[in-house]
Formats: sequence, structure tokens, C-alpha cells
Amino acid sequence: MDIDDLKQRWDDQDRKLDTLIRLNTRLLQEPVLNKAATAMTRLSWLMLPEMILNLLVCGWLGSFIADHLHQARFVIPAVALDLGSLALLIAGIRQWATIWSLDYSAPIVEIQKRLGNLKVQRVRVTKLVFLTAPLVWTPMLIVGLKGFLHLDAYRMFSLSWLAANLAVGIAVIPLAVWIARRTADRMQHSPLIQTLLRDIAGYNLTAALGFVGTLAEFEKE
Amino acid sequence: MAQPSRQERFLSLLDEHKKILYKVSASYSRNLADRQDLAQEITAQLWRSFDRYDAGYAFSTWMYRIALNVAISFYRSESRRSRNTVPAGESILEIADERGAAETDDLLLLHTLIDQLDELDRALVILYLDGNRYDTIAEILGISETNVGTKLNRIKQKLRRDAARTV
Repeated sequence: MDIDDLKQRWDDQDRKLDTLIRLNTRLLQEPVLNKAATAMTRLSWLMLPEMILNLLVCGWLGSFIADHLHQARFVIPAVALDLGSLALLIAGIRQWATIWSLDYSAPIVEIQKRLGNLKVQRVRVTKLVFLTAPLVWTPMLIVGLKGFLHLDAYRMFSLSWLAANLAVGIAVIPLAVWIARRTADRMQHSPLIQTLLRDIAGYNLTAALGFVGTLAEFEKE
Repeated sequence: MAQPSRQERFLSLLDEHKKILYKVSASYSRNLADRQDLAQEITAQLWRSFDRYDAGYAFSTWMYRIALNVAISFYRSESRRSRNTVPAGESILEIADERGAAETDDLLLLHTLIDQLDELDRALVILYLDGNRYDTIAEILGISETNVGTKLNRIKQKLRRDAARTV
């Protein structure tokens, strides 16, 4: 059986569709169309609070660093946090700009490559944020206590306690990946959590990179 | 005579090419709910992009690109939920006669075979079955005409093998 043999059936159905399908013009009124959001516009709205938060955090940390310039024990963790927030902010702005510059009427391979690369970036950032979260806890505690409550974490807690927290944070990272790999496929009832676990486990990154590779193959003669 | 409004022009063109909307959304969805969501998503993107449509070019080519780009992204998305402002139970596309639209055994076999193709090959086959020339297919996909021919031959061989296993 050949696809060209079946093409006749496809053409027959095509002629039937002329009379069988019609547009729901009630749903195609301009106010309804103008309100309809696409997947990319929804994603860009979701990214906006994240970017605003990162901007505020960068600003606050910058002010904190300026206020404690001669106190290395506070400046060092604050600079580390600030660089992290700045990197997230820049990544967010670049992704946001990519989303708004997408022209879906461009050729398939071109748009899918851009979407594929965007997906790779987003998954990498998500994975990095969640895996480094245990490391961020200790500097956040030091900077937060000093910045909001004027308390010195180095005096409240011993240096060995703070170092132990940092060490535990480092140890948690491979454990988090292991747990994510074991539980990701069991979370089908919660798509958002499943997506997050698959991001941490690396499955989504593998899939996204795989698709980018498939596109490269598709373009080859 | 008054010029048609933007919405009137859009609706007129969409109505003339509604079969593209139906065929692409049916080919990239796993169930009725997904098909309705995808048809809405494609329509929303077509509307958003309509200001950039150049009437000097074929609307069908423009529409195929947008519909297939949205469909491929939708198909690859991990979560597909009904998200739009359309009331439950309604759809952009209405089928007047479900029995009339029902597929023959041959068409079911064809769709089963198409479902086994990846997202990109699926787009190529849909464009081919719809009677598009190789140069048009190449323009829509963003690959060379030679590449279209090579890929189609490979897909035909694959589908022939798969059909022989199915029958």
C-alpha cells in the first residue's frame, strides 16, 4: 500500500470538508480574538513577575553592598547573590526578547530552532536555580539577617555551623537529582510538578537538545 | 464601497482556508479536547500575526507556516490544558455532520501511519497530501527542494513497510 494510493482518499475527504466544517463566527469576533492568548504570550506574562523580582533583588543587594563595603564577611556573600540575580535577570530579558521577536510565519525549521534553543535555555536555568538553591541558603541567611534585622549571623551561629550548612547544601545536589529521577514519572497527576522534576532530573534538557539535533538532521540533504 | 475591516478580511481568508486549520489540528492532537485547544491556539496566533501578512503572497503558504509552527510546539509541550477564553463545549471549528466526516478504513490507516512520523516528517506529508508543489513545501519548511524530494521518498518507503506490517 502506497501513500500515493491513499492520496485519492485524502482528496475525497478534503472535498467533503468543504461542506462539513464551518467556523464558529461567534468566537471569531474581534474582542474575543483580541483576548485570546497564545502559549508564548502566556509564557511571557509568567516571566514578568520573575524578572521584576530579580530586578528588585539586584537593586536591594547593590544597596546592601554599598552600605557594607568595608565588611568583607557581608560583601562577599552579597556579591555572590547579586551576580546570581543579575545572571538570572539577563537570561530572563534575553528569553523575553526572543519570545516577542518570534515571527510564526517564518519557515518551520527556522522558528522551531529558535523555540528549541529557547527551551534549552529555560530548562538549563530552571535546573541551575533549583540545584543551587541549597547553596544559596547560607549566604541568604547572612545577608538577610544583616540587611533586614541588623543581626550578625557570624555571631549568632558559629562559623563551623555556617560551613556545615554550606557543605550539606553541596551534598543535597546529587540527592535532589536522584530523587527527581526516581519520582518524575509518578507525578502525572500534577503536570507542573512533573515538569519541574523532569527539569531537575535532566530529562527535559535531553529531550530539548534531542529536538534541536533532529532539526539539524532535518535540514541536511 | 467601504473597505472591509481587518476582522472581516481575516474571517474571509480564514473561512476560505478553514480546511488547513482542521487538518493540521487533527494531525497534531491526540484527542478531541487537544484538537479544539490547538485550533484555538492556531487561530489566536494567525490573528496576532495578521498585520504582518503581505497580501502579495499566497495566504495558504502563510497560514501553513503559522499553523504548523504552532502545532509542532503544541505537540511537544508537556502540558496541554484548555486555556483560552472560549466557553466550555464550544470550538472554533464546528463539524456539521460527524458521520459524514468519519474516516474510511483507508483514511484511518493513513492517519495511523502519519501518527507514527515525527513532528517534522508529519508536516512534510500533510503538505504533500494537500497537493503542494515541492518548491512550496520547501519554502514553508525552510529546506531545499532536493531535500523535500529525498525525504518524501524515504517517508514513502517507511510508510509502505509500516503498512505492510499493519495489514
